[in-house]
Amino acid sequence: MPLILNQADPIHWAAGGAIIAAVTLLLLFVLNRRLGISTGFEDVCSLVVRTRYFERASLCEARRWRLPFLFGLVIGGAVSAATTGGWQPTWALGMLDDALALGPAGKMAWMFVGGLFIGFGTRLGGGCTSGHGIFGLSNLERPSLVTTLSFMAGGFVTTQLLWKVVLS
Amino acid sequence: MTALLSLGLGAVFGWALSRSGAADYNYIQQMFLLESFQLYGIIGTAVVITATGLQLLRRRGRALSGAPLDVGSKPSHRGNIVGGVLFGIGWSICGMCPGPILVNIGEGKLYAFAALAGALVGTALFGRLYDTLRAPMKLPAMETGTGEG
Repeated sequence: MPLILNQADPIHWAAGGAIIAAVTLLLLFVLNRRLGISTGFEDVCSLVVRTRYFERASLCEARRWRLPFLFGLVIGGAVSAATTGGWQPTWALGMLDDALALGPAGKMAWMFVGGLFIGFGTRLGGGCTSGHGIFGLSNLERPSLVTTLSFMAGGFVTTQLLWKVVLS
Repeated sequence: MTALLSLGLGAVFGWALSRSGAADYNYIQQMFLLESFQLYGIIGTAVVITATGLQLLRRRGRALSGAPLDVGSKPSHRGNIVGGVLFGIGWSICGMCPGPILVNIGEGKLYAFAALAGALVGTALFGRLYDTLRAPMKLPAMETGTGEG
């Protein structure tokens, strides 16, 4: 199945997994940091929201590696687009476009609501797919196993409901 | 130097998420519909290789700089389950987890900006509610937080 992005063919899953592992290990070995992306949302909040929670020393100290990493993710996406047929702004949303013809405003609302769950949920859970799913599981941490099973279950039930009940 | 290295590692990571399907709405839906193996293969491969590398790094015990390796476990609390489930719902709705939100912005997917806005508002909301949630969710002290990651 081609990607939504430029209808490009995806790279093999083993290659994707290997690169993710290499970056995770390099980040730990070279910078002595454990991979974790959702805390980056707190980093961004800490720049503008004046609340005690966003002024914790551990958070402010880690901003100097995590904010550049987040910016790198954006660059990586742009390079991927540019090298698979060109970068261009798009509203394309794959399967959801075929099932539910939402306009730009509808897609923005859809994504904003989903984003609320992502932001609140990852911070309450103490991590996301990267910090719990990749690093925590690899490091055999029990809270990471619990959280990973929880977000896989939440995603499974929601997706099954969406496609097998709501949009069927 | 730290910033430049982080930026480079982030770019490689982002490229891999983009090109492997991990930042693709369809691939995320098909993972949860059990119709595609791709994401399970990506995460499984990443975990097996990272776990192996971590064993080696732990034996060495030190990062490149010579400092003791920082690999302590995250705290355990009720938020792991409740927050995990909420995040899973969001991952399904957006077809993106936190990294891929930024990757999709880079790819030019305009709706990803709304996902980012939602995630930041959700995070800010959580920060505001930390004291309220601490007892019912059995969260650690604020300075420790729920777990960095």
